[in-house]
Amino acid sequence: MSIEAGASQYTVLHELGSGSFGTVYKAIDKTTGEIVAIKHIDLESTDEDIQDIQSEISILSSCTSPYVTQYKASFLRGHKLWIVMEFLGGGPAWTCGRYTNILQLKPGNLNEAHVAIICRELLLGLEYLHQEGKIHRDVKAANVLLSTSGKVKLADFGVATQLTNIKSQRNTFVGTPYWMAPEVIQEAGYDYKADIWSLGITALELINGGPPHADVHPMKVLFLIPKQSAPRLEGSQYSKEFRDFIAQCLVKDCDRRPSAKELLRHKFIRSAGKVEALQELIERRQLWDGARDRPSHPKYYEETLHTMSPKNDPDEWVFDTVKKATIAARKNTTKRRKLSVIHANGQGLVSGAEDALMRLDIRDAPLDYSSPPPATIIRGTVRRQPSVILASPTKPRQASSQRRPLQPDMSFGNSASTVRVFRRVSDNSTTAQVESDLTAPATRDENRPPMAETVTKDAILGRRVFNKVIDPSFQEVQAQTGNQAKRDALSRLADAWSALDAVDPEGEYQLMKLLLEKVQNDSKLSVHLSPTKSTSRDGTPQASPQKSGAKLILAQNNPHLKSHRRRQSSIMPEEAKEKEKLPNLPGQAVPGMEHTKQLADVLYGRWAGGLRNRWPAV
Amino acid sequence: MSFLFGRRPRTNTVDLPKQAKEQISKLDGPGAAAKAEELAKTLGQMKFVLQGTQETESSPEQIYSLVTGMIQEDLLYLLAFNLYRLPFESRKDAQVIFSYVLRFRPPSASPKSEPMALSYVINNRPEVLVELCNGYNHTESAAPAGTVLREVLKSDAATAIILYHDPSEGSPGAKGLTGIQPEARQSGRGVFWKFFDWIDRGSFDLSADAFNTFRDLLTKHKTIVAQYLSTNFDLFFSKYNTMLVQSQNYVTKRQSIKLLGEILLDRANYAVMTAYVDRGEHLKICMNLLRDARKMVQYEGFHVFKVFVANPHKSIAVQKILLINRDKLLEFLRHFLEDRTEDEQFIDEREFLIKQIRNMPPTPVEPAQKPALLGSQAR
Repeated sequence: MSIEAGASQYTVLHELGSGSFGTVYKAIDKTTGEIVAIKHIDLESTDEDIQDIQSEISILSSCTSPYVTQYKASFLRGHKLWIVMEFLGGGPAWTCGRYTNILQLKPGNLNEAHVAIICRELLLGLEYLHQEGKIHRDVKAANVLLSTSGKVKLADFGVATQLTNIKSQRNTFVGTPYWMAPEVIQEAGYDYKADIWSLGITALELINGGPPHADVHPMKVLFLIPKQSAPRLEGSQYSKEFRDFIAQCLVKDCDRRPSAKELLRHKFIRSAGKVEALQELIERRQLWDGARDRPSHPKYYEETLHTMSPKNDPDEWVFDTVKKATIAARKNTTKRRKLSVIHANGQGLVSGAEDALMRLDIRDAPLDYSSPPPATIIRGTVRRQPSVILASPTKPRQASSQRRPLQPDMSFGNSASTVRVFRRVSDNSTTAQVESDLTAPATRDENRPPMAETVTKDAILGRRVFNKVIDPSFQEVQAQTGNQAKRDALSRLADAWSALDAVDPEGEYQLMKLLLEKVQNDSKLSVHLSPTKSTSRDGTPQASPQKSGAKLILAQNNPHLKSHRRRQSSIMPEEAKEKEKLPNLPGQAVPGMEHTKQLADVLYGRWAGGLRNRWPAV
Repeated sequence: MSFLFGRRPRTNTVDLPKQAKEQISKLDGPGAAAKAEELAKTLGQMKFVLQGTQETESSPEQIYSLVTGMIQEDLLYLLAFNLYRLPFESRKDAQVIFSYVLRFRPPSASPKSEPMALSYVINNRPEVLVELCNGYNHTESAAPAGTVLREVLKSDAATAIILYHDPSEGSPGAKGLTGIQPEARQSGRGVFWKFFDWIDRGSFDLSADAFNTFRDLLTKHKTIVAQYLSTNFDLFFSKYNTMLVQSQNYVTKRQSIKLLGEILLDRANYAVMTAYVDRGEHLKICMNLLRDARKMVQYEGFHVFKVFVANPHKSIAVQKILLINRDKLLEFLRHFLEDRTEDEQFIDEREFLIKQIRNMPPTPVEPAQKPALLGSQAR
């Protein structure tokens, strides 16, 4: 079937992040060798109309501009939709502006020159879209992607719209509150100028680290934006041109607001530098990523098989003869959908502000610096959730079918929803991890010491061991393991190992060395283990050679190794630590994990409390 | 913005359609690539005349002469027919051209009148619409053709043309709207019936686009569709049930079950609905949907199933199936999608169905009322 052929053309590598409505993987197009990003959307877990997803695809597929993320293909695989997009290594522009503010890293600020370049590129993108009769409707830094070479691209067309008449207007209330133009909020009819307002807010966001009113609840922002005078860029450190540019974008009367084309002639834009100047941002970002605690194990692609397995139900309906039988109680979980969608004549879309507001309050709290970009309104609450969502990378995977409706939204509140943050980023596996921003700053100062400087030769080798041996081995075994419990156990071990790698690459190297030595010294084992994988002898997950090695250490009391061990005693504590950890993996909490959980709970509690105070009626 | 006009090559608007026609005719010959490029330019100019820019208004006089020129040169048909062969940007230009031309009314015409080009197509050149549908034969042309079609389908006449197109009925000549005989049953060879294949077999993009158009065809103009479905009940639903509802393609399956529910629950389709839920084999298909491995399929299936159960005049066949499976059904429904705890309407409806099934008389009873007779049905 041609549909299946589509999927087999790609080798899926690992997860890049959870995007606007699905999980994004890095993959290789086998026919061309090109690296691509593939968004997987689990259609079973979305109550929302497939039509909405399709409309995003159709808008994307009709765009060919260097300023817009390039759509490549889409196809169905079972109930998963794969959308293939170009891969950009740099990540969202959002991250560049934000890091500095979260952690006061210096010198990390996006400066005026950077913002000028980004704005110019965005204007070129918007000019293209607008002349094609498209309105993006959700311009914000989170939806701006950078490539490693510094190219700037508009992404996420989830709420974009195609006008059939270039001069027609829209009324639909969509967007993300902080970035929404007054005319959009007032539902008075708006056109492409709405994107220009959002661009102005995005510029402010990039330079300030957050949009105006970021500390206000999004519901309240919806009242503030039309009522208050337009935000301005404050501060004498910024040039007159920059301040004027922002003022031009943020003209409340959309008729007097300039178009993208006009703004491209603005002095601030004309004097902007080359995109290559943005490369330093990406480099800095990667450094930053490297500097924070070592991201834990990448999440590998795994195909969900259980939902698609053909059902062999002995309790078929009886259509011909009468037959006494009972049917087993079925366990079904599912998402709810407003029934009106079915009965009404296709009026599935939310268009009223009230509706949007109602959806809003449970999921969005005031922005603070550690929070993700707030979700775009009109997306249902469900669609945003990737099918496989991890609260933290160390938590075991949960099949989508185990989730209860709404739970992820509620429990993560504004904090851990960072996991869903758009991060289609990065071009090497170490920075490509998805790590919630929640765990990142928190674990920095507590559980996990900062990553050791890789200076010594051993340390460098240790890193190499991890990158070349451990990491790929885990990948491989993970891919070969079908059982969910085993997978979980395995990924916990992988996490533990990567934690070790972060803390003590030297020890890691020594450990590896020891393992190999011991395997080789045992005549029986060396025969079996040296060339290929071991076989499983017990119920523990089938693991890489290293894992079996670890088990061996525990078991071995080979006398002629004792002297050797004494010689290596300096590194033994490290090894002992590993020992403790390894045997009882499945039940054991990996350090850092329970901590994450607590923190998530605390943050959620605080968020919920704040919400109650502000909105007693809610 | 005057500089834009200055730069524009001064081809006379009236000549554009002729020029385009010539260029299209040479798409096959030697130097096709160069011709395609020239054609792209011509189409770009036509688009510009039609839509102006964000800053400049287009001139109605120029549009008028362009539209008449296009009609004279039969350019709409040529464009529709060759859509898939145009380069990427030209396909989008063609889409824009279609949208504007088919919507254009001269300033003097009443705003309620049929746009002139559309009226021409409907009455004299229905093949344009057929060829637009055939755009789904190619991935390249599917999206632009689909966009134009859905726009055009706001017109009931255009909808009727597509529904009733039937090449087997005598000459495939241009009969247009006047040639339609709503009482005659369809042979199944018309362009409308090709949608089933496009939806079932196409790639995701193509199939989903075709489905959107298909849905518009079946939901926008209720009286036309009600008549059409009554007349072609057997042909339509046998195709619908086998190719769409039981499709291997998840999206097709789920979307078509949902659309089926919408069609059945539409008041205008009352007669169709009663006829549909009268059939035992339809109930069987539906009950199997409830057992599908995928929850959203179950859920969509439920909304068709409820129509069978809620029907106060169930046929003997339907009653038999429900009675044979009564215990199973009751047990099944009790646990059916039990996680949908916040969906009150669903819970209510599920309870209602349980009650209905529980209270059914133990043996089938002759229904007090037969389904409204459908025009063509041999029952």
